[in-house]
Amino acid sequence: MARLTRMTLSIILFLIAWEGIARSGLTLISLFPPPTRVLAALIEMARSGELVRDVRASVWRAVLGFVLGSTVGIATGIVTGRIASVSNYLSPIIQLFRPLPPVAIIPLVIVWFGIGEVSKVFAIAFAVFFPVWINSHAGAREVPQTFIWSAGTLGVKGFRVLWRVILPAALPFVVAGLRTGVSLAFIMVFVSELAGASAGVGYQISVSYLAYRVDRMMAALVLLGLLGAAADFLLTGLTWRIFPWLRLAVIK
Amino acid sequence: MADLPVAQTRGYQVMEGAQIQVRGLRVRYGQNEVIHGVDLQANDGEFVAIVGKSGCGKSTLLHALAGFIEREGEVQIPENVGVVFQNYAVFPWLTVRGNMNFGLHAMNATEQEGVVERLLEMTGLSADAAKYPAQLSGGQAQRVALGRALAPDPDVLLMDEPFGALDMYTREKMQGWLLDIWEKQSKTVLFVTHNIEEAIFLADRVLVFGNGRILAEFCVPFGRPRTDKLKFITGFIELKKQIVDTMEGN
Repeated sequence: MARLTRMTLSIILFLIAWEGIARSGLTLISLFPPPTRVLAALIEMARSGELVRDVRASVWRAVLGFVLGSTVGIATGIVTGRIASVSNYLSPIIQLFRPLPPVAIIPLVIVWFGIGEVSKVFAIAFAVFFPVWINSHAGAREVPQTFIWSAGTLGVKGFRVLWRVILPAALPFVVAGLRTGVSLAFIMVFVSELAGASAGVGYQISVSYLAYRVDRMMAALVLLGLLGAAADFLLTGLTWRIFPWLRLAVIK
Repeated sequence: MADLPVAQTRGYQVMEGAQIQVRGLRVRYGQNEVIHGVDLQANDGEFVAIVGKSGCGKSTLLHALAGFIEREGEVQIPENVGVVFQNYAVFPWLTVRGNMNFGLHAMNATEQEGVVERLLEMTGLSADAAKYPAQLSGGQAQRVALGRALAPDPDVLLMDEPFGALDMYTREKMQGWLLDIWEKQSKTVLFVTHNIEEAIFLADRVLVFGNGRILAEFCVPFGRPRTDKLKFITGFIELKKQIVDTMEGN
C-alpha cells in the first residue's frame, strides 16, 4: 500500500506543478494548457462521443495487429529456433528486414493497401512480428536438450514436442517479446493514424493539431499513454494468471 | 555382510535373459570417437552402476544407450525406458502432478489419476502436488523427476548423475529412498555417477568407465536391504579402494 500512496502522491505533485506553471503567466495558456483544461477537453470529447469512437478505433487496430503479428511471430520463432534447415533459409531474409524502422514501411503499405484498416493493421502486425519472432526464436533455441529427451522417453515426439515442450519452455522469452510488441503496437497505431484515418486517438491528435487545440492534443496524448499502460498491465496480469509459474524463480 | 573377498570379473559373458545387451557400442563426434566398443549387459531387475571421472564419457554412454545420440554397434534395450537427469529436467511450466502425468497420455483420466496418486505417495510429495518445480528443493525436484520417469512403468531406468547436484546430506537420504523404491519396483537400473561410494552402496555390480571403455567390473557382495552403516565396514572401504585404483590406472 505504501507503494500506491507514493505513486498517487507523485502524480498529484506533478499535476499541481503543471497547473501552477501553466497558470503563472510565464507561458501562454493556449500553448501550454493546465491539466484542468486538458481534463475539460477530455470531458468534452467524452460527451461528444469522440472519445469512445477514437479509443475503440485505436484499440481495435492495435489488438488485431498485435494478435496477427505475434501469432505469426511465435509460430515462426518456434520453427526457426528448432528446425535448423528452415532457420538457415528464413533467418537471413528476416534479419534483412529487421533493422528497418517499422514506421518507414507505412508509405509503402498505403500504396499497397490504401489508407483503410488493412494498411494500419498490416503495419502494426509487421512491427509486432520482429521482437516476438526474435524472442521466440531465442527461447526455442535455449530449450534444454534434456527436456526434449525426457519428453521423448515419455512418448511425446515429433511435432507434438513443439506444442507440449518447446512452446511452454520458450514462454518466458515469448512473453518478453510480446511486451515489446505491445509498446510497438501503440507507436504504430499512432503513426498509421497520423498518415490518414477518420477515427482513432492518433487521428484526434492530428485533427486537434490542425485546429490548434493544444488542450485536445494533450487530452489525446494522455489517452494514448493510458491505453499503452493499460495494455501492458493487462498483458502481464493475464500471463501471470494463466501461467503462474512464470513469476517463480528457478529451482533452489 | 562381513569382510568378504571381493570378486573381480573382467571381460564379457553372455547371460541368458539379460534385459540390456550391448556389444561393440561406439559413439563418434565427427572424426572423434569418444566411446570405443563397449560391451555390457544388465539382467532383469539388476542395479548396475557405471562410475568414472568427470568428462570420461559416462553420460555419453548412457545417452547412447537411451538412443538420444547416434551410435554404432549392437544394442538390445527395451523400448520402454525411463530417464532421470542430473539437472532434474522437470518441466517448470507444469506442477508436480502435471509433471508426473506428462507421460500418461495413453491412459484414460481415471487411470492417470490412480497412477499419479500412487507416485505422489511414493515420492512423499502428496502435499506438494499443486506446487511448481521452482517452489521445490533440489531433492524434491529430483523425486518429481523419478516419479515422472516411473509413471509409464518403464522396464529400464537410466539415471545420469541424478544426485550430483544435491548436497551430501540430501544425497544420502535420496540414496536410501531410491533403494527403497527399487526394492519394491524391481526395475533394471543403469546408474551413472562419479561417486564411488554411491555406486557401491546402491548397485549389484559396478562398472568402471574411463577413456571411452569399460576398464573393470566389480560385483558388490553386500546383501540387502542396505543401510548407511554399510559405508563404514572394512569390505566396503576395501572395495572402494580397489575401484579408485582401477580408475587411477594402477
